[in-house]
Order: sequence, then structure tokens, then C-alpha cells
Amino acid sequence: MASVLITAIKRLTITAAPTRVYSSVTNSVATVSNSSLDVTKKEWMFPPAYTKPREVWIENMDSVEEKKLGLFELHPTVFASVPRIDLIHRNVTWQRKYRWISWAHTKTRAEVRGGGKKPWPQKGLGRARHGSIRSPLFRGGGVIHGPRSGTTHFYMLPFHQRIYGLTSTLSAKLAQDDLHLIKNLELPSDEPEFLKDLIENRNWGPSVLFVDDTDIAPRNITVATDALPHVNIMPVYGLNVYSMLKHDTLVLTLAAAERIEERILLLLHAITKDKEAPFKLDQV
Amino acid sequence: MGSRQITEKSLSMLRSLPRISLSNLRDNPGSKKTSKRGRAQHGGDKHGAGNKGSGQRQNYMRLGYETGNNPFYLRVPQEHYYRGHHLRRQYPPLSLLQLQHIIDKDRVDINKPIDIASIVKTGTYNFYPDQKHFGINLTDEGIDIFKAKINIEVQWASEQVIAAIERNGGVITTAYYDPHSLYLLKNPKKFFESGQAIPRRMIPPPDAIEYYTNPENRGYLADPDKVSEERLKLAQKYGYQLPNIESDPEYSMFCERKDPRQIFFGLEPGWVVNLKDKFILKPKDEELLQYYSA
Repeated sequence: MASVLITAIKRLTITAAPTRVYSSVTNSVATVSNSSLDVTKKEWMFPPAYTKPREVWIENMDSVEEKKLGLFELHPTVFASVPRIDLIHRNVTWQRKYRWISWAHTKTRAEVRGGGKKPWPQKGLGRARHGSIRSPLFRGGGVIHGPRSGTTHFYMLPFHQRIYGLTSTLSAKLAQDDLHLIKNLELPSDEPEFLKDLIENRNWGPSVLFVDDTDIAPRNITVATDALPHVNIMPVYGLNVYSMLKHDTLVLTLAAAERIEERILLLLHAITKDKEAPFKLDQV
Repeated sequence: MGSRQITEKSLSMLRSLPRISLSNLRDNPGSKKTSKRGRAQHGGDKHGAGNKGSGQRQNYMRLGYETGNNPFYLRVPQEHYYRGHHLRRQYPPLSLLQLQHIIDKDRVDINKPIDIASIVKTGTYNFYPDQKHFGINLTDEGIDIFKAKINIEVQWASEQVIAAIERNGGVITTAYYDPHSLYLLKNPKKFFESGQAIPRRMIPPPDAIEYYTNPENRGYLADPDKVSEERLKLAQKYGYQLPNIESDPEYSMFCERKDPRQIFFGLEPGWVVNLKDKFILKPKDEELLQYYSA
């Protein structure tokens, strides 16, 4: 274990990103082109304070073989934050629970049929005193504190735990090489086999989640993924911790990555007190 | 969240660990506490409630009851100078330090007059009109480091605070708002969404009129000439040079005051604000105009 850690840290120091100079003063994305490689540098609304942006390859989708189209910068607050496994776990538990209604049901002694009459006189028989044959002590009697149907398990996870759940999951995915960037969702063919081969060839694992910033995907990819139940498409507003973990690999389009960064950074820096107030759990 | 090294280390650790998935997640150990009644050696027997009597039956006595003793809250004689304290007006404090802090953080725009609505909107000050809170008492904490030049309207201010603001070339007014107006100022959006016309601000109650007509307190009902005279007097008393606000480029902003009947800056009583379609309805009826201008 120790040796694994040491090698990991060694690798880290070697692959530390070089110092970079922000060339442009404009707020738009600037593309620096040198020897046919595009490096996209970004000016964020909230630039990273003490950490360097993460550089990620932009991959192609028009052939089965992987081609690197350029480098893209990701904000470290969103894509390289502390991977809080406990927060990821809380998010998953919350997502499982808030829509779960338990239909398990048992009958109380009042609901079980019969048992109105006193089974035998109180005194004189030498038997224990009983008032009903449906008492919980009896076989076939009611159940005390049993499950009652229609029990909701809804609750709201605190706002910032939801946000940090997203950043933790995105960071963990990126750290484990399970997050890939593509230009857009355009495929050359609508054959499911093509997409299957592409995923196989790139070692993306069987299940893949594509995320775009719009909820209208190009025709080819919708047709291709229709036949593959383990390959799914999702708009940015639907991105959630559970789906990211359910799929082995997360593939973001550039627009989606930018939108996720923009939204999360904004919410991390905003005052959300009044919006959170109705969801506080300890209110009377 | 955490230091940078911890982040980098944990991310690099993750690289050599199996993929995080739904099947290998767990919470921090010990983070979940089960609230079950233990059996046998795990807190069984009396479950911590003791044997027999009030404790076992968890019969909690009423607050202050001392099982027959003369209770403490009755043992002390009444203090009549506190009579009616629950009816008196309260002014929850906001210190000059806090005010400087919100200005430094750019949570309030000092190029416009500041009133209680803009301070509540920063999220750093809260008050409850239904609990006899009548607005801001600007206190002198942080008086030595207060440097902002502002036009502020508060509900209560001491002499030093007035001096601190005027020394920097600012302007302060103390103004009274009735509880209903304070509700509107606390949450204007909620009121505008209700579709009602903005009411008139009520005049202060008899025991507050003296304070708000006094130029020494910079009351909003005081004579402006006397206020400027008092500004000069205060400067002489505290020994500072009163900055000449007439020559200030933002002189017009420093002159802005609310009408004694006005609640919001820029909005007059009787107007209806439509937030959805972004327009304002103004009354035209003679009777209404007369009512709202009275």
C-alpha cells in the first residue's frame, strides 16, 4: 500500500501542470494553436485561487480509433476538489430514498378480523387472563409497531452537500480516468455496432453516460443508443451523482463541461440562504 | 474544502484504487447512530430511567417547579421599572464594523442611498417587526476604522456614530417606520407579488416624535437648516473639519431623502408594482391622489 502511494505521489509531481500565462484580457475562450494542437484556455468568472486548471484531452467521435483533437482546461474547484466519499454516499442514499415509498403493511390487533369477545372468563379457570384472541401475544394476532403502507422516506439533503456531492463525483471520475471530453455528440453512423466498437476500443467500460448541454441530441446517437440499454444520454440539468456512478464512464461535451463549471461555480459563490430556508429540516 | 495537498494526495490515491461505483460506497465509519433500545447488557434493565417514581415514568415537571419549594422565579420581588418592557420599541443593533464589512465586501452599493431594505438584502442583518423590532440601531463598535462615505438612513443612532459618519463626508438620517412598512422593506418582493398598492408610511407615535424631530438626532422630521447647524456644532464638539458636501461630485446623491410618507426609494405611495410584466401602475383618480398625498 505504501509503495503504491509513493509511486502515485511521484507520478503526481512529474505530471504537475506547467505554469501558464493568461494571454487574453477578454472574457471569451481563447484558443492557442501551435503545431496543429489546440489548447483551449479559459477565463472563468471565479478563477482558481491556489491550484492550476486541469488539462484534459478533447477526443473525437467520428472514428472508432481515438484521436486527440486538443487540450481543454477544467476548473479545479469543480473537477479537482476533495473527493468526499461520504458526501457521494449521502447523495446516493438521498437519491434512493427521496422517491421511495414503502408499501410494506401489517395489521394491528384492531384491524385483524375477529377478537371482539373475551376468550375465557377473567378468573376461575387457572389460565392466563386475556381479553382478545387477536392480541399480539396470540398466534394470528396483530403486530405491534409493524410497517404501515405509504410510508414516505422523502427528505432534502442540505444544499451544499448536494453541490459538494457533484464536485466530489466529478473529481473522482476525472482522477480515475473515467471522465472524457468530446466536441459534440455527432456520430458518422446510426449503427449501434459502431458505438459499441468505439466504447470497446477506447476501454470506456460497458456502460457510458453522455452529457450534453441541450436536451435535443443528434439523430445518429439517439438511434444508436436506443439499442444499447447501458449507454445513455442526459442533459446537463439532469446530471446527478447516482447516474454518474451507475455508469462506468462519463463523457461530457465541451458545452456541457462549461455549463457544469459555470453553474457549480456560481452556486458555490452565491448567497443561497433564503433559497435554502424552506428546506431546513429543524424548522418547527 | 481542505488543503491543496490533501486534495492532490487523495486524488492521486484514487487513481490506483478501484473505480468508485454504487456497489463500493460507504459512509464514514461511526457517522450513523442507531436509536434503538438496547437489550440486556446493551443498556437493558431500566434503560437509564432509574427505578420507580417520577424519573421512571418520565414525568417531567413544569418549568420552574421545585417540588413544593417557593420557586426561584417567585422568590425574587418584582422589579417595576421593567413593567411594560415587552411593549417597548426595540432596535436590533448593527455596528459600524459590520457596516464597513459589508461595504468592503461590495454587498451594498454606496453610490446610492442606503436604507434598511438594502441592508437586509445583504443577508447580514435580520429583524422581526412582529417582535417589536423597529429597525436598525447603528452602534459605535468599530468606530475608529469606519472609513466609508455614505448616505445612510437608520432608525436609531448615537452621537458618536453620527459624528463618525459625518466626519467621512457622509450623511445620516434617523427615520421612523411603522411595523407594516417594515414588513414591506424586509421583503419587498413578497409585497409586490401580492399586487397591492404601496401604502403610506405612518407618522411616529407620540413618544417617538420628539426623537425624530430633533436635529441633534438627524431626525427625518427635523428642520434641514437646523440639521446643518447641528452638523457644524458636532464637528466643533468632536474637533474635526466638516467636509464640504456641496462641492462633492455626488452632492445630488447625498441630498436624497425619502418623503416622510414614502417607504421605498423611487416609489411613491399608491403605486402598484407589477414584477411579472415589469411596469408600474399609478393612481389617476382625484380622490386617490388626495388620499395618498395627505
